[in-house]
Amino acid sequence: MKTEISRRRFLQGSAALTVVAVSGAATALIEKEEHDKVASFGLRKTQWSDKLTEVPTLCEMCVNKCAAIARVEDGVITKLNPNPLFPKSRNMLCARGNAGIQALEDPDRLKYPLIRVGKRGEGKFKRVTWDEAYEHIKNKMVKILDEEKDNRSTIGYCAGEGMAEHTYVSFMQDKIGSSNFVNHATICLTTTIAGYTLTLGGYGQADLENAEYVIMAGANRAEAIVTPDTMDMFKRTKGRGAKLVVIDPRFTNTASHADKWLPIEVGTDLAFVLALTHVAISEGLYNKKFTQENMSDFEAYKKHILDKNYTPEWAEKITGIKANEIREVARDFMAHAPRSIYYQGRRTAWSFQDFQVRRAQAIFTAMGGGVDKKGGILFGKKLELGKHEIPSPSYFNAEPRIEKDKAAVVGTSGSWIAWRNTIIDGTAPYPVRAFFAYKQNPMLSVPNTSKTRQMLEKMDLVVVIDTMPSDTVMMADVVLPESHYLEREDPVKTFGGSEPSIALRKKVVDAKYDTKPVIEMMRELGEKLAKPLFEISKKYDEELQELIEDAQDEGGEEKVYKQEGYDLAEGYKHSQETINHHMVTSVYGEEAWKTLREKGIFYPDMDKYFKKKSVNTYQYYPEHKKSYSVIKGELDVEPYHDTCVDTKEIGVLKKEFRTATSKIACALYNLEKKKGVDAMPTWREELYTPTPQGRFRFITGRHGQFTQSGTSNNALLLDLMDENYLWINKRVAQEKGINFGDNIEVKSSIGAIQIKAYPTEKIGPNVVFFIHGFGAESSELTLAHHKGANDNMIIEDHYEKSFGSAAMHETIVDIRRV
Amino acid sequence: MNLNNILPYKKQTLKSFFSFEFTTANVVMFLVSIALVTAMFYGIGVYLAEGHHAYGVTRDHAWGLLIAMYVFFVVSSTGLCIMSSIGHVFNIEAFKIIGKRAIVGAIIMILVGFSVIAFEIGHPVRMVIYNILTPGLTSAIWWMGTLYGMYLFFIILEFFFLNNNNHKYSTIFGLAGLVVGLAAHSNLGAVFGFLVARPFANGPFFPLYFILSAMVTGSYLLFLMYGWRYKMKFPPEVETFLYTLAKVLGLLLAVLIFFEIWRMLTAIYGNMPERADVAMHTLTSANFLVGEVLLGMLIPFAIIIYSKGKAAKALVYASITGMVGIFWMRYDLVHDTQLAHMMPLKIKEYAVTTPFVEYTPTLVEWMISLGALGLAVMMYYAADKFFDLDHKSEESH
Amino acid sequence: MARYGMALDYKSCINCKACESACKEENGILLGADKHRIWVGVPEMEGIFPNLSIGSSSYAPSQCQQCDNAPCQEVCPTNATYYDDNGVVRVNPEQCILCTYCMQACPYDARYIDDRTMTVDKCNFCSDTRLINGETTTACQATCPTKVRIFGDLDDPNSEISQVLRDREHYSLKTHLGTKPKLYYLT
Ligand SMILES: Nc1nc2c(c(=O)[nH]1)N[C@H]1C(S)=C(S)[C@@H](COP(=O)(O)OP(=O)(O)OC[C@H]3O[C@@H](n4cnc5c(=O)[nH]c(N)nc54)[C@H](O)[C@@H]3O)O[C@H]1N2
Ligand SMILES: Nc1nc2c(c(=O)[nH]1)N[C@H]1C(S)=C(S)[C@@H](COP(=O)(O)OP(=O)(O)OC[C@H]3O[C@@H](n4cnc5c(=O)[nH]c(N)nc54)[C@H](O)[C@@H]3O)O[C@H]1N2
Ligand code: SF4
Ligand code: SF4
Ligand code: SF4
Ligand code: SF4
Ligand code: SF4
Ligand SMILES: [Mo]
Repeated sequence: MKTEISRRRFLQGSAALTVVAVSGAATALIEKEEHDKVASFGLRKTQWSDKLTEVPTLCEMCVNKCAAIARVEDGVITKLNPNPLFPKSRNMLCARGNAGIQALEDPDRLKYPLIRVGKRGEGKFKRVTWDEAYEHIKNKMVKILDEEKDNRSTIGYCAGEGMAEHTYVSFMQDKIGSSNFVNHATICLTTTIAGYTLTLGGYGQADLENAEYVIMAGANRAEAIVTPDTMDMFKRTKGRGAKLVVIDPRFTNTASHADKWLPIEVGTDLAFVLALTHVAISEGLYNKKFTQENMSDFEAYKKHILDKNYTPEWAEKITGIKANEIREVARDFMAHAPRSIYYQGRRTAWSFQDFQVRRAQAIFTAMGGGVDKKGGILFGKKLELGKHEIPSPSYFNAEPRIEKDKAAVVGTSGSWIAWRNTIIDGTAPYPVRAFFAYKQNPMLSVPNTSKTRQMLEKMDLVVVIDTMPSDTVMMADVVLPESHYLEREDPVKTFGGSEPSIALRKKVVDAKYDTKPVIEMMRELGEKLAKPLFEISKKYDEELQELIEDAQDEGGEEKVYKQEGYDLAEGYKHSQETINHHMVTSVYGEEAWKTLREKGIFYPDMDKYFKKKSVNTYQYYPEHKKSYSVIKGELDVEPYHDTCVDTKEIGVLKKEFRTATSKIACALYNLEKKKGVDAMPTWREELYTPTPQGRFRFITGRHGQFTQSGTSNNALLLDLMDENYLWINKRVAQEKGINFGDNIEVKSSIGAIQIKAYPTEKIGPNVVFFIHGFGAESSELTLAHHKGANDNMIIEDHYEKSFGSAAMHETIVDIRRV
Repeated sequence: MNLNNILPYKKQTLKSFFSFEFTTANVVMFLVSIALVTAMFYGIGVYLAEGHHAYGVTRDHAWGLLIAMYVFFVVSSTGLCIMSSIGHVFNIEAFKIIGKRAIVGAIIMILVGFSVIAFEIGHPVRMVIYNILTPGLTSAIWWMGTLYGMYLFFIILEFFFLNNNNHKYSTIFGLAGLVVGLAAHSNLGAVFGFLVARPFANGPFFPLYFILSAMVTGSYLLFLMYGWRYKMKFPPEVETFLYTLAKVLGLLLAVLIFFEIWRMLTAIYGNMPERADVAMHTLTSANFLVGEVLLGMLIPFAIIIYSKGKAAKALVYASITGMVGIFWMRYDLVHDTQLAHMMPLKIKEYAVTTPFVEYTPTLVEWMISLGALGLAVMMYYAADKFFDLDHKSEESH
Repeated sequence: MARYGMALDYKSCINCKACESACKEENGILLGADKHRIWVGVPEMEGIFPNLSIGSSSYAPSQCQQCDNAPCQEVCPTNATYYDDNGVVRVNPEQCILCTYCMQACPYDARYIDDRTMTVDKCNFCSDTRLINGETTTACQATCPTKVRIFGDLDDPNSEISQVLRDREHYSLKTHLGTKPKLYYLT
């Protein structure tokens, strides 16, 4: 790639200017210089020519998928504006959403398929045609699967969250047939999804528009933006309707909106929640009617809490939060219940007890009655879409996941860290020899970067589908460039909640380079792979051999190939637009489809319900049409999930481990019996290591203007903040003679990084923090390259043992000035 | 038509133009001037290539060393004009001898000032056009610029008539130059004084202070010019003049010091944010204490007091420190006006806040600014070669 | 003709800088510090861990105040800075000589130099990108997640901004300077 990718920056900014004649001495030569220095692509002012069109689309700069309207002029997007019609994004685009144009115009983008020519990781690639790329993949796969006797699971793959994620996953999972999938769940939200789902029946949606009391523990909604939560919450804080308690070792932007900020010892949230529960129980503050009607084993839970003596005084010693503060929070919470929420949180890959923390939070919220009620945790409704079936063959020789026993419950999306470590530590029952990555950057996203590198180095084939030359792309053998989200139509998506709707990402502009949306890659790769891989199955798969035998009379092999789904391109043959059309019209008719394409959003009666309320606010549904309480009688719903976790997986989870009552589950005896996971939230001393004196616990997290590692090369965003800094307590810094901007080495047992210091009182004396996503190694990322530090170089690869979720805040580090 | 009839000048050959007595002082002066002017042209070259990025100026400190230097030169010009008028326009005997030399100095100083600011204003050509097409009559800069333009015109005419020994017209244009110059000059003060946003500068102080400090500057410059002209061996009438000048200067300095003290006191005890803190900052800065106060006022003042005004030589040397002090006075004027952050919170994330806006001139700015001094010296040298600047010719009318 | 102003429900601000990004995209502003039309002030945290003063940490979104009595306009020697028909203080780059006097005069640090035209620029309430096309939103207002900004016609008594300013307490910045700002902070 060194020679292939041109580094030239585009100078579009200048085209848009009212041209001012050069007068006097000061001008002429400067302009050129300045443009070379400052990246100014993607900053074109709208000219409002006749050619201007406005195209609705959806943002994909992060997980939220806010609705946007693109102004397009001469095939160039000049501005992205919020689309007011979408209830989930409430007429907003955040900084990153605005920076979507920069991502599209970024001269560093992947522009055509590449095949590695140097050593792996060296970053030398040559440009190839799509067919050459597919051919290369095919040859490798045929060889591997032949050698592995059609054990499809020898092909590992990962995916980051995205609207087209399912297209790719279904191909790898259902068509190729591998069980070895990992995605962001276990480095992100598995524990809270599992915790709330197994307790309440669903993860739900916190009704922050109506809640009166909210506890946000390590959920930084002012910076880690989640819609509509972020918008709903902060219009009502600071004495304007909702009390907010923030539990976070750092003083975040969210804390600046809090009524109370309680810095907690990292990793001790469970003790805090148990103590809150103890207060509510011992003082009899909970909602007796609700607990009786809707909660199972509540009496046992009460006894458990009291027996264990989880008093505020007990918790104070562990959490560092004063007992009287704990009492006050518990009382206030219950006083405002049922409009009180212990917010679920999202990235909950923190520590070893995360799952039980979330269980305890869910039970505590339920004790106030704030479940399936206005102002509490809602399940809402989801608008059904038509089905798009993809027939899938079953491969007799495909083995189960390699790390299935590394945690109590390992779902279909695996445990990232356990999975990777299993590959490199040689404990895998069979080799994983190929690795596909789609829209994920595990080199930066998964704790312990050097182990990820080792894992990739072991592979016979690494294929990466991305838009940018990420650190993971640098490790690839074959790079397949995906079209940017503004250049493609993606699967239509339904967004549940109290105000459900359907939203569509329509292609806004034509692909600028030789890139494709992933559905086309799957189709073409499917066509390429189908026959050769079928041959291999025929050779090794005894079931298939029998099937063919049995079908001898009615067309034999050809029929089996067709009917059993061995045609790997099947399911991807139609264009995304055709598929979307079918999925919408089959349920809502042509009119709905028309609306969706014109406006980007559809829900029944939108034309009647949608109203502008003020210069900034809109009504989506009239109050009485909002889906606040959806559970009729007993709690038995298929609650809405908008959590990037497979609903099937959640279904299985619930069926297997919840009690038969379908009530809110205080005790999960099934889980205890089958998997040895505590039935009720219990503080486990052995799972908590206090931070040793003089050392620091490292924590990680978000920044409002960056999305993980995916936006680190974005010129507009870097203009707001150009690298990450190490938060360290001011007084501790002073003692160590550390000043702002000093270069600091942060060292853990697995590695060391260097970063600039930011002494601040916003963090405690035994914790250090820096923002995740910086420190890219890839030299093709002109702006991100070596900017700041990569936290996963130092975060140790711990994971908790119930779901295999990363425990990112269990790393102890030392720091010194360099 | 012969130019010499209109504006009598001394004929020079190239050789005679470049020939001067090879004393150490002259040679040093020659080399220094050449070096300064070379530096200036180099600096201008860099500026033309890089624009304002070659300077240390920033959004919140948009005026830098060049503006200070511009002020330095135009104040010098006005000062010379005022001091020369004392004798010439107001017929005060002891001062009569200074007429032509001072006016030439005034012309040179303002020309050099204009050439410095031409490299600070982004669009000097456009300035000329729109100053006329769409005049901003509420703008002190517009008045200052326009009046200084007229002032230059008048003092050139004054010089022209002086040179022609036309006493009547030289007096008329001298008076016009003085009046317009004073107006322009107080408007220069007003450029700062009208800045409501900048409490430290805002108010009636600057317009007055500017006139006063201009006279001080003019006096220093006269000492220097005469010191150089007579190589410290003054003829009696010059000596008398210098003694008188010293007394005037002593008085001016006393008033200036008095002014300064009260400005600081009111600023500090006025308790107005952005004024008191800026004043404190200024008061404790070396620029002010050493530059302005010690070099610019106290040393010359002490010499005058100590010698009762009878140490012409010492005063010539003191005028060197005086002019350095005056430079810092101009620098501080520009810098201190911009010290306070207008929006202290307008910063990037992860940046440390400074209590005051910081500014360090770049090498390029120094080159252009100090280089201009070389330009002034060269122009003065040329003027001296072409014109008879001594008072003898004046006496003859 | 209208007289546009903006009220800021600044307590809702989460310092997400969507406004800043939107402004740059809308107006094609060159990147690089020093060139911002709009910004969010973050006060230095008061207190010592863990006793920090939450009250001290309100964010302060700001931009050109569109003064009714604008010092920047008063001092401009060429009238490059002018009031347009909507009462918006604008800069005509053809006339600007880059004397930067207006930058000295503005009490709100609202002006910056555009390196392409080498003239001074500032927030113009999106006049040339939105108002001119009949839109009545600004880019910064429309994009804001928590809806901090209410933009509208101060001369229209029925406009939302007029109502809000009647009903709610508010303040403006540095009013003692007599600049008559048209940015109002709602308390
Ligand atoms: N240390 C630490 N590690 C973390 C976290 C943390 O806070 N700290 N956060 C964790 C969490 S919550 C999550 S969700 C994960 C996220 O981790 P990832 O899923 O890896 O997400 P990103 O880091 O955003 O990287 C996304 C990649 O997708 C590429 N991409 C962007 N758009 C497209 C597209 O349209 N198509 C394709 N094909 N590629 C695209 C980007 O270029 C980038 O390489 O990281 C986890 N890892
Ligand atoms: N701007 C922006 N928004 C985003 C994203 C983004 O990258 N950028 N990513 C999206 C994604 S994928 C996700 S998963 C979410 C993540 O949303 P969040 O989970 O809200 O975000 P994080 O910053 O990862 O949250 C971690 C917070 O927990 C605190 N913390 C650390 N340890 C502890 C502890 O032991 N106890 C407590 N109580 N707190 C602790 C950290 O200080 C930090 O503030 O954000 C989503 N929204
Ligand atoms: S929150 Fe921001 S980045 Fe995420 S989808 Fe919405 S606008 Fe895009
Ligand atoms: S910089 Fe331009 S706009 Fe500002 S005062 Fe000077 S001419 Fe006017
Ligand atoms: S805020 Fe500054 S730039 Fe804006 S109108 Fe007022 S003085 Fe002019
Ligand atoms: S009103 Fe327009 S120009 Fe002004 S700050 Fe907002 S987006 Fe920028
Ligand atoms: S967009 Fe709104 S919330 Fe975000 S920084 Fe700007 S004013 Fe504050
Ligand atoms: Mo996540």
